[in-house]
Amino acid sequence: MTSALAGSNLLADLLNGPRPAEWAPLREAAEQRLAGRELPTTSDEDWKYTDLKLLAGGFSPAPEATVDVAGHLLPEMVGTRQVFVNGRHAPHASCASAVPAGVRYFPMSHASEACHTLGSVGNGTAKGLFEDLNTARFQDGAVILVPKNLKVALPLHLLFITKAESPVAVFPRVLVVLERGAELELVEEHHGEGAYLSCPVVEIRVAEGAILRHERVQRESPEAFHLTSLKAEVGRGGQYHSRTLSFGARLSRQEPRVRLAEGADATLDGLALLDGAQVADTHSFLHHAEPGATSHQLHKCIVDGKARAVFNGQILVAKGAQGTDAQQQSRNLLLSEAARVDTKPQLEIYADDVKCSHGATVGQLDPEELFYLQSRGMNADDARNLLTYGFAADVLTHIPVASLRRSLRQLVMARTQAGSLGELS
Amino acid sequence: MLSIKNLTASINGTPVLKGIDLEIKAGEIHAIMGPNGSGKSTLGKVLVGHPAYEVTGGEVLYEGRNLFEMAADERARAGLFMGFQHPIEVPGVSNAAFLRLAYNKKAEADGRDELDPLEFDDFIHEKIKLVAMREEFLDRSLNEGFSGGEKKRNEILQMAVLEPKLAILDELDSGLDIDALRVLGEAVNRLQRPDRALLIITHFPRILETIQPQFVHVLSGGRILKSAGKELATELEDRGYDWVLEEAAAGGAR
Ligand SMILES: Nc1ncnc2c1ncn2[C@@H]1O[C@H](COP(=O)(O)OP(=O)(O)OP(=O)(O)O)[C@@H](O)[C@H]1O
Ligand SMILES: [Mg+2]
Repeated sequence: MTSALAGSNLLADLLNGPRPAEWAPLREAAEQRLAGRELPTTSDEDWKYTDLKLLAGGFSPAPEATVDVAGHLLPEMVGTRQVFVNGRHAPHASCASAVPAGVRYFPMSHASEACHTLGSVGNGTAKGLFEDLNTARFQDGAVILVPKNLKVALPLHLLFITKAESPVAVFPRVLVVLERGAELELVEEHHGEGAYLSCPVVEIRVAEGAILRHERVQRESPEAFHLTSLKAEVGRGGQYHSRTLSFGARLSRQEPRVRLAEGADATLDGLALLDGAQVADTHSFLHHAEPGATSHQLHKCIVDGKARAVFNGQILVAKGAQGTDAQQQSRNLLLSEAARVDTKPQLEIYADDVKCSHGATVGQLDPEELFYLQSRGMNADDARNLLTYGFAADVLTHIPVASLRRSLRQLVMARTQAGSLGELS
Repeated sequence: MLSIKNLTASINGTPVLKGIDLEIKAGEIHAIMGPNGSGKSTLGKVLVGHPAYEVTGGEVLYEGRNLFEMAADERARAGLFMGFQHPIEVPGVSNAAFLRLAYNKKAEADGRDELDPLEFDDFIHEKIKLVAMREEFLDRSLNEGFSGGEKKRNEILQMAVLEPKLAILDELDSGLDIDALRVLGEAVNRLQRPDRALLIITHFPRILETIQPQFVHVLSGGRILKSAGKELATELEDRGYDWVLEEAAAGGAR
């Protein structure tokens, strides 16, 4: 079988799965856009370093499954969780009893009122192939609507868990709408076992003056493929702060696309910890559409083994978006000879009064930092492990949910051999 | 305690130290002054084992051991400490966790008990009082975003935690406000014992009024040109360095 054939079969196979009845027009439109398309190959500029041939084995629709979620629960969010297993809502594993009145927080299969927003975030810009695939085939997902001026005190927890005995495909879906002046903290986690393809789509609308803080944790199984797109529209003076933490998956791809209205503020931080033959690719797009918006992007990767990290950070400052302030940093630590990083800023600026800065570093640990720790009595190995840990933990420092911060620090400690140093937080 | 004989060292092939002789005994406090670029920080960093410097000649004995046969971390565990002129920032590593790690490595080397996080909590609270540091600095990343003065305070906190036998303090006083200078100077004094020694690198006699040295040395062009008692510091402030250089040139010509 040639790879091109495998590619077209894959799309056709995935579309052969059952099509849920709801949102038929939306699904039909997506199917029409997909008709005749094939999976991108490495000759496609956007997929130059990320080879989807790995997906050639094919995936069937995910059957129902049950999982024990006890190990995934976090104390701050036991009463604010919605759990999805193999793409379906798991009512017995979920509990939203602590969610304040006024917040609408339910599975998409129960939604009808949100229909007009679903699929419309980022309209006017092209839809990605995996985004369309999700729209055509998603079974369920989460809808979150926070009314005007409501500041939600407790964080909400979305858990997407996949259990695959043979290769399956799942299409998690999330829609978040914050009305004017609303505030929310959202934790979105992806876990799983076995070999599977997960293509989550997240749509976010943050209205004027509203604030969304969004932690995205990707801890898929080592054999999994995780291809996700996120679209966010941030209204005037609104804020969207996200932190995407990629630990798992054989191959993962993040495509966040954020549009900023006047005076909006966005943070798009990322951390990827890679080893073995893992590939983690981030293609981000920050659109400064109107004047006076600010954006900060810090993307860090630690790459070991023969793993590969890809970062393509596109920033578009539209004509008339005066007073834009956009800062982008891509920092990469290579821990082995065979590890690879391809990082590229992509700035398009059509306004004249803007502050845009970007920088990229690819390298080893700083010898001055190593010496500083050694001068305090730490041996060279401990110093290296501590600095590697610190490089990653830096991105975790401001996670507001304490139990999540702690558990991710522990994960980073284990993955950076800093475990032998004892408690570090 | 420390005996330096005809020490020469280079950085990137450029000689910086050109024959240093210095003897420091337990209980003593020495000060080194000298023009910018004369090699003061270099001397300190060579002693604590900074890898950028190459020792090209001479000998240094620390408690009878050849210092250059010890790795930097070994020197630290053996009681050598340098408070740096420009301390490094380490993001992602909390100050408290770092201090506890450093403490425990030293304790292990000394054959003392290590402290668990709770025990260390009590221990470190005494130490931050000594240097009048606010507690919130323990939870922040090591030196990250600290002001110049705050970094210096953190260096002295590290010194208080590690209780070194020989501490080299490189321009502790630069960047410190008047109160901080007094507080940290007194903290250093309180840490001084008959079995410990101090080497203070400074440009200003003010700090030497709090931490009073028995010996003041003038380092210039990679050599110690003059050594005298504490009064030399004030004399240097009044007269500058030219006369020392001239005196040394005349002495050398003789
Ligand atoms: N990495 C380097 N490469 C080349 N020259 C260096 C390097 N580091 C230091 N030097 C030189 O070594 C000399 C001694 O520097 P050192 O930092 O020891 O001076 P200092 O006496 O501490 O000065 P200051 O009073 O300004 O702190 C200087 O001329 C400096 O420029
Ligand atoms: Mg200096």
